[in-house]
Amino acid sequence: MTADAVRGATSTDALVRVEGLAKRYPVVGARGDRLAALGRLLLGRAPRREVEVLAGIDLAVHRGQSLGIVGENGAGKSTLLKLITGTLTPSAGRVVTTARIGALLELGAGFHPEYSGRDNVRMAAAIHGLAGEALAAKLPEIEAFAGIGRYFDEPVKHYSSGMVVRLGFAVIAATRPDLLITDEVLAVGDEHFQKKCIRWIDQYLADGGTLLLVSHSVYHVQKLCRQAIWLKDGRIEASGDAFEVTQRYQAWLEQREARDRAAAADAVAVGDMRVTALRVDGRTVPRIDLAMHGDLEVEVEITSRDDRPPALSLGLLRADGTPVYGVDSLMDAADARAIGDGAFAFAFRYERLPLLPGDYVLRAFPMDAEGLRLFAPAEVALRIRGESREFGLVRLPHRWGAP
Amino acid sequence: MRLASGPVLRELLAREWRERYQGSVLGAGWLALLPLAQLAVLAFVFGTLLPARASTGALPYPTFLALGLFPWLLFANALNRGVTAYLDNAGLIARVPLPASLYVHARVLGSVVVDGAGLVLVLAVLVAFGLRFDMTGALAALCGVAVLALMALALARIAALVQVFVRDLAAVVGQLTGLGFFLAPVLYERAQLPASTAEALGWNPLVAPIEAIRHGLSAQGELPWGALGAAALVAGLLLIASIGLQRRAGRHLEDFL
Repeated sequence: MTADAVRGATSTDALVRVEGLAKRYPVVGARGDRLAALGRLLLGRAPRREVEVLAGIDLAVHRGQSLGIVGENGAGKSTLLKLITGTLTPSAGRVVTTARIGALLELGAGFHPEYSGRDNVRMAAAIHGLAGEALAAKLPEIEAFAGIGRYFDEPVKHYSSGMVVRLGFAVIAATRPDLLITDEVLAVGDEHFQKKCIRWIDQYLADGGTLLLVSHSVYHVQKLCRQAIWLKDGRIEASGDAFEVTQRYQAWLEQREARDRAAAADAVAVGDMRVTALRVDGRTVPRIDLAMHGDLEVEVEITSRDDRPPALSLGLLRADGTPVYGVDSLMDAADARAIGDGAFAFAFRYERLPLLPGDYVLRAFPMDAEGLRLFAPAEVALRIRGESREFGLVRLPHRWGAP
Repeated sequence: MRLASGPVLRELLAREWRERYQGSVLGAGWLALLPLAQLAVLAFVFGTLLPARASTGALPYPTFLALGLFPWLLFANALNRGVTAYLDNAGLIARVPLPASLYVHARVLGSVVVDGAGLVLVLAVLVAFGLRFDMTGALAALCGVAVLALMALALARIAALVQVFVRDLAAVVGQLTGLGFFLAPVLYERAQLPASTAEALGWNPLVAPIEAIRHGLSAQGELPWGALGAAALVAGLLLIASIGLQRRAGRHLEDFL
């Protein structure tokens, strides 16, 4: 899949254009692998053993865009950024950049541990063409932004990872690149510095800057990026609006987590009662999409082997299995309606469902009349659509007051 | 990604400088002290302790030795420092999109500048003690130094790249440099050797630059312009070979670091 929502790769005004990009790393674990690889490279051939980490990547990043890249570890995010910044060479395809790029890759933009922060800043600034008097004029600003005090003149090997990022970000802030590329930078600094960075990036974007952000934080991607791509196994799984892409990614993560938990003990009994129909909004479908605060009609039919009226337990769960809300007919003294042949029907309605956007599961458990035994459930997937940066599972009614 | 290579090379050179002298009490004072100390040792050992060795025509043996040894050190130090340039900067190469050969150039250039300054200092002392040369001799010596530096750069570019794939190479280069010391006319005058041996050693492209420097600065012996030209040609071809090697094997250098 191409990053079609990230505009066509053939546009001419792109700061970065990536076409058919692929990256394969040589496998050089065994003795002699490197020598053999050298021989093959001299003959113009690829190393004998390679592992593919990226394939078929097409995308374009235009001035003023903010593009997030999400994906689990090993999906190829960092490799893609390194290819775009030019620290890696593609195995196939090409990357065309027409911008001055500022990159913070793998903490600290390549600082040398033996040199002081000041020395490393000089080098990093030189890489961006900032030297001599221009650098001397900027140094106080960089020192102030980093806010690491006396450590500025200490070797970087004495820094915490957060301090390294502070220093790297301070250089980027001072050089104001056309395109800012960051890889998990916001995950490292303390909260105060994170906020400072986010404020700076917000302003940078407002001033027309362009951002390429790799983050595991869906919040940061939604907060800072208008568009996103989801990399999965080295390929673009989804691209487009940041909210939609990150929600799909998050839902996939949650479903995978839920599958991992599937080995957990199943406490339900089988046999005496079973769900014969589960309809949502009048339809029997495996999944239903619903807007935030929409109403949801649920109808459940249960057959009872001994013709005794059943009870019904309804549960809403996040896709990863986290319970959100559960209620049963016994609590609310709601009776089933007999529909013949030992079958009973329940009707239920969620009004203005306050679930936050994401993927959920609606699960219906038949219960015996005493509410002592649960039987095998039926379920339907539920996707809530909408834009929200709120945290958690549900929106709670609230109001901001005057302090 | 466009980069400003000029300021970066300057910064890399500054790092080279700091790496040599950072933490030492004398700091950059070593730049002057080391070659002068080496010269004093040569003068003492071969001028006083073993005067029998000092029989090289009208030229005192310590002077003869200094005019061969310091150019040799300029070549050998530049080569040996350049060999590990990629591995020593692996962290930077993985994160900063610079032309990788810049790291080798900074290493070699930094080394040549330091040893070149030492050579000039030694020369000043030798002149103070009576060494005389003319402009033609000085030009020959300058050309000799340039060819040695070019040779060191070309070999360092090749060795640094191969070292990424064959990690044993740095040790091998160290041994080969030691052997080269004896195969070049540093300790001896080639004319003193049997004719066949002297002729065979003439194929060593390092011989002509060293002889050009020694003969040029001592105003003794013939200036080997032809051989120096051939050595420059060899250095040029090695440089072209290193560029070809870089294009082929260096394209994915970062994958092997």
